[in-house]
Amino acid sequence: MTEIAALAAKAARGAGAPPLQAARFGQAAARHLAAGRDAGVFKEALAALPAGPVLQVPIALDAALACGQADAPLHPGDVDPDFLCSYVECLPFQAALAQERDRLLLRVDLSHPAPQQRPARIICDAGFIAELEHLAARTYVPDTAQSRARGAGAGLTDND
Amino acid sequence: MADIPQAPLRPPAEVMRLARMGAMFPTRLSFLRSLMRRLKAEGARVTRGHWQMDAAGFGEAVYTVRLGGYDYSLVAISSDLPAEARTDRVIATAWDTAYVLYDGVPDTAEIARIKAAAPRQEAARFTERDLVLSRANKSVRLFSHVIERLRAGRQPDRALIAQTGYLMRTTAVYGNGKFGIADRAVYQDRPGLDGPFMAEMLTVWMIRTFTHDLVAHIGGAPLDRDLRRHLGIGNSTGLGMAPFLVTHPVLLNNWMLARETALARVRALPRITGTDAATLQRLAVRAARHLAQWQVPDTSHQQRIDALRIDWAGAVARCAPDRLVADYPIEALIRWSQRGSLDLQELMAALVMEPFGALVDGLADCMSDPFGPLVLPLRDTDALRARIEEDCAWALTPDYASRGECRQFWYVSAAKQEPRLGDRFEEEGAALESPLDIGRRIKAAYADLPDAPEPIERFLQRHPDHALAVARVAAAARYPYGEIRDNLIGAACLPIDMLRCKLAFFGASKFDPKSDRWTRITLCQGAPLADELDGDVDGWWLPVFEP
Repeated sequence: MTEIAALAAKAARGAGAPPLQAARFGQAAARHLAAGRDAGVFKEALAALPAGPVLQVPIALDAALACGQADAPLHPGDVDPDFLCSYVECLPFQAALAQERDRLLLRVDLSHPAPQQRPARIICDAGFIAELEHLAARTYVPDTAQSRARGAGAGLTDND
Repeated sequence: MADIPQAPLRPPAEVMRLARMGAMFPTRLSFLRSLMRRLKAEGARVTRGHWQMDAAGFGEAVYTVRLGGYDYSLVAISSDLPAEARTDRVIATAWDTAYVLYDGVPDTAEIARIKAAAPRQEAARFTERDLVLSRANKSVRLFSHVIERLRAGRQPDRALIAQTGYLMRTTAVYGNGKFGIADRAVYQDRPGLDGPFMAEMLTVWMIRTFTHDLVAHIGGAPLDRDLRRHLGIGNSTGLGMAPFLVTHPVLLNNWMLARETALARVRALPRITGTDAATLQRLAVRAARHLAQWQVPDTSHQQRIDALRIDWAGAVARCAPDRLVADYPIEALIRWSQRGSLDLQELMAALVMEPFGALVDGLADCMSDPFGPLVLPLRDTDALRARIEEDCAWALTPDYASRGECRQFWYVSAAKQEPRLGDRFEEEGAALESPLDIGRRIKAAYADLPDAPEPIERFLQRHPDHALAVARVAAAARYPYGEIRDNLIGAACLPIDMLRCKLAFFGASKFDPKSDRWTRITLCQGAPLADELDGDVDGWWLPVFEP
């Protein structure tokens, strides 16, 4: 899971997400895929960058958390429920979504951290991985002779 | 534990500075030390269940240790590496040896799978049974000498052993999900592997055993025990390790807080026993000998060591038992050291924890981060402003627009996907800068704060780029030791300081900087051997060796 989370975070950055939102996207994407949910909503979210749910959802969740209430109103905008659910599962506290009449609530137990889950091996289609890798590659800096010589700090040989 | 008296903690503004972090020494809380104590407490035994090695030392071996109710096996693969292919740099594609720490005891098919995959390292894919992936190269000069001597029926030259200190050095120790190996979450609740980097440390310690056995196999005779004890595992560490401290603020906080709490506890001791005083003196003398044996080619670092040797002579005198009879003797030692260099202060801080395992060792259980940041987001921009001014004032001082304060930029290289550091004014790539510029980000968010308070939600909708800074500020009060309080993109930032901090927590010694961005170290030097876990497993702080 951590490998996918890291790759998805890089992909989000490559697609234009700011660093923190990209990191949270990565965690949520890994959780989403590990739960066997459809990757489609995450592909769509990446395609919507540098706007869309990758930016909206963390802000909405943090606004709800900031209330410090057990049941906080949540206003995530027009977001796929599964997408939102995967983000909620990555919050540091025990949390779940609840619907109360026409209101969406973030139900949080601030006295308990989120339960630790044994990560599942993520099996997802090679096409999605390739897409993530393609976007992630946008964050890498091509090597130059100068960067090779000094970027990592080592000399050209290091034997003894 | 709350009842244990303690002096005030050294404040984060003092502790979380790069220069001080770059002067750290290993302590009782270093991970290798914790691991040795744990192995002893578990009554762990290491067995070599498989040894398929030709006369030249090429083949495979499997060592198994039972820890916390689980078996873990080091699968070691030794290959015939042409001399021209041997390099410790990250560009290498082949190594003398490759390793996997395996979850359980591998059967023949699993050994074959690992034998095919491990030598390819990053180019291969691994499974959830593979917990750690590593590789190591021989120290050719010493390895050849040892073989030659053992074959001749002699022990190797002790001066050469002292000079190098290891038969092999690792060039990478991968954990936590890389290349398909198990996520840390798979074993983070298991007794013994629940502490930070415990799987990696266990791997390195078992690799050391393998190197000793390998030279005995090729040379036809074992090394003397005291030589094996002194031969650790070398390591070359570059920039790849540095960003970890920035990207894991909760973990950094927990490491530092545990160490500072340990120091605060021993400072609060009103008196110490004669036995403890004698231990302090003995270890102060040993530290002096260790410093005398710590030689590095880098001129400026050697000057630091030379200066510390001189200063430490004063520390040894201060540690005479008859000077430790007054009240609060540890506090007095710390206060005395504060008149000297950072190197002196940090070595003294490490020393004074040593005799007091009962006060210190339990803090090792507080050094992991099972939950992530348990922090409520800030509600409005006035709260954000207040928190920045209260907890993050350090970030507001530098003028990040000046060339000197933004000279460097961190990035990830396309070729190896590893962290690098570039010169913003001489190299391409700053547009793809990695977000390690926490101070600059906090100051930028501060500059954009509106005069009238508004919800953070609204502020971030206008300034989504400030989200990282806002989160770090929100976490600062709960995790006060989580942030390096220096400008990590300034010309004066020396990544080697970050490396030394992290490596000191691992338990490394004999730091041998090769530039301001990579270093050689030795791990496990002086540590108990695999058959010594029922003895004193804690008496190897700053090991010395008499040639």
